[in-house]
Amino acid sequence: MDALRLLTPEITITIFAFAIISLDIAWNDENKSRRILPWLAFAGGLATLLMIFYIWPHVDQYNYTAATDAGREVPMLAVDRMSLFFKMIAVLTVILVGLSAGEYVEKHTPFRGEFYGLMLLAGLSIMLLVSSTNLIMIYLALEFLSITSYILTGFLRRDARSIEAALKYFLYGALASGVMLYGFSLLYGATGSVDLATIAGSLETTQAGLVVAAVILMLAGFGFKIALVPFHQWSPDAYEGAPTPITAFLSVGPKAAGLAVLIRVMVVALPAFDVNWTPILSLVAIFTMSVGNLVALWQTNMKRMLAYSSIAQAGYMLVGLAAWSAAPPSAVAYLGGVDAIMLFLLAYMFTNLGVFAIAIILENQMGTSEIADYAGLIRRSPYLSVALLIFFLSLVGIPPTSGFIGKLFVFGAAVNQGLYVLALFGVFNSVISVAYYFGVLRNVFFEKGSDESPIRVGVAMNTVVTITVVMTLLIALYGQPFIQLAADSAQILAANF
Amino acid sequence: MIESIPLSYYLLLSATLFTIGAAGVLIRRNTIIILMCVEMMMNAVNLTFIAFSRFLDSATGQVFVFMIMAVAAVEVAIGLALLVELNRHKDAVDINQFNSLKG
Amino acid sequence: MPFEIPFVQIVWWAMTACAIGGAIGVVSSNNLFHSALFLVLSLFGVAGYYVLLSAGFLAVVQLMVYIGAIVILVLFAIMFSRRMMKPTEDEMNRQWLVSVIVAAALFSWLIVVVNSVSWPVTSAAPTADTVLQLGLAFLGSYLIPFLVVGVLLSAALIGAIFLAREKVEAEEI
Repeated sequence: MDALRLLTPEITITIFAFAIISLDIAWNDENKSRRILPWLAFAGGLATLLMIFYIWPHVDQYNYTAATDAGREVPMLAVDRMSLFFKMIAVLTVILVGLSAGEYVEKHTPFRGEFYGLMLLAGLSIMLLVSSTNLIMIYLALEFLSITSYILTGFLRRDARSIEAALKYFLYGALASGVMLYGFSLLYGATGSVDLATIAGSLETTQAGLVVAAVILMLAGFGFKIALVPFHQWSPDAYEGAPTPITAFLSVGPKAAGLAVLIRVMVVALPAFDVNWTPILSLVAIFTMSVGNLVALWQTNMKRMLAYSSIAQAGYMLVGLAAWSAAPPSAVAYLGGVDAIMLFLLAYMFTNLGVFAIAIILENQMGTSEIADYAGLIRRSPYLSVALLIFFLSLVGIPPTSGFIGKLFVFGAAVNQGLYVLALFGVFNSVISVAYYFGVLRNVFFEKGSDESPIRVGVAMNTVVTITVVMTLLIALYGQPFIQLAADSAQILAANF
Repeated sequence: MIESIPLSYYLLLSATLFTIGAAGVLIRRNTIIILMCVEMMMNAVNLTFIAFSRFLDSATGQVFVFMIMAVAAVEVAIGLALLVELNRHKDAVDINQFNSLKG
Repeated sequence: MPFEIPFVQIVWWAMTACAIGGAIGVVSSNNLFHSALFLVLSLFGVAGYYVLLSAGFLAVVQLMVYIGAIVILVLFAIMFSRRMMKPTEDEMNRQWLVSVIVAAALFSWLIVVVNSVSWPVTSAAPTADTVLQLGLAFLGSYLIPFLVVGVLLSAALIGAIFLAREKVEAEEI
């Protein structure tokens, strides 16, 4: 396929984003046509998704990663199955968040065009980031994602908390990207190139100290996006202050993007390099899981609790990467850790977006997101209560939910490589997480709430909750296609050896 | 002529600038000063890139620096827009006073 | 030639004085306005190095973007809200000692890392026309990043205007 056709998803989403922003300017506030803007964003997301499916069969899963820029159809962007998988996650996130944002946005801000336009652009930036094979592209796409996230986090300008959250996010983000750039500059100096594959080819073993330093510096940038401990301080504040649909977006989109780019850098630029990454990655994974889970225990605000819970979830995903780094090169294709991350991420996306959809519904109704206000939800909306139960079971990793399959694969990969301590930490952390998830559920099912009026759920919201519930169960009950999908997408790793 | 200043001088210099910037971020509490310090760190990075670009004789470093400058400019614009907006809500630029969220 | 003045060295050390002195000034000054001016000094010094490193175009960009745009923006923000200009009593963080130790550790680590490697340096003369090279790079092998920067800038501009503009009627729902 030629370059232009391989880039159709990116081109489609860009066109829709700018169309929405332009139409928003063209139609003044009284114009009734502005009501279609959210649906235009939805259509844009669907069109992009279709383009991804259209490209999928034509993409050779092996061909791209090993090739340097010169041999690639699209310079600096690898359109392989791994990047398409992450693009799919990005677009699905944008679609589901866009659908669940409707009422919230209408209630809180008159600027609908900017909201949906910027959200599509944030989706675009993730799509670019996950396929970047060049430090320049990685930097640009990462900054693109950061800048759109800052704006979206501060979107409720009337609300000081939203602006404050955005400012904190911004300060940490600018610092993280500066530190990351220093790492990039060291790699460039050592190899004279910014192309990942060329870097891999020209690194020498005498440069081990330098490479370790560069990776630690770069980890600041990627870890900031994924919210790994110790680069997570921004996330609870940003999650609490941001508009709730954006919190949902932040909890999935940037995490997926950061993981994808971390995987690509580790796998493509530093594959056969003679440094054992397992201790660094395991340590970060253990800290991320433990801090996330332990601090989540004390939270009283749903958004804040979910912030810490999603930090912990990112820690589980990192277990997969640690397992990959410990694997002998030949074992990467199946159960090698990376396919586990992808499967976990797929499950996590549906589950977490489902939880946030419920949080948005309740916030629309009650105006707060305190866990105490979830009391007596079972009497107000049995459907949402049961859905929440399923989502939380999935986040803990109890069958028959997708979270169980994800954790099974991630911890299974760790055990496969003999990382028993790491897997044990993972399981132990999952047990801790039961406490706070079930704390919410106890409120929902057994406490008596002050308000007994039934919860009204709109059509879009109902769709989101239903889709996420179905997918959360489907990945567990009929998992083979999804496992196959993840393994297929992770195949590029095998091509490197 | 340029060879009279070796690469290691530039690397040392940029490490120094980077550290001064980092120290400023850690020590100071004023948000605008923190922002300026981050800009100084970016500048140190740019200097490293350009020094490498010269001593490796590759244009890539200059391309990268150009991109960094373009992005840094808009990033500052966003940051200051947020700061000015927050200033409409509050009388503070001290980072420790941003406490409506429990830090 | 005992009387030949090592011109480049003198310029280099003058630049270094500007860059590092300015940087220390930014960090230590108690007046926000002075800090911004020190930042100009530091950025100016770094622009000087770019000229020495045969990156004249970027030196000009540095002057225009960093000094011309960023610092002016900072100064506007400072003046826009006058109360920011008042020097406050306690400008330092309470844990300043810890911060200094962390910074010193970072510095020594970076120095060790930077000096531990033999960098692959060429001895070739600098390429004459770097502007031409840059132009070719932007429209040749770096076309896609160049396009992405374009989209990024428009997105950021929309966002910055959105964030900074005055309140509108409809917003007070």
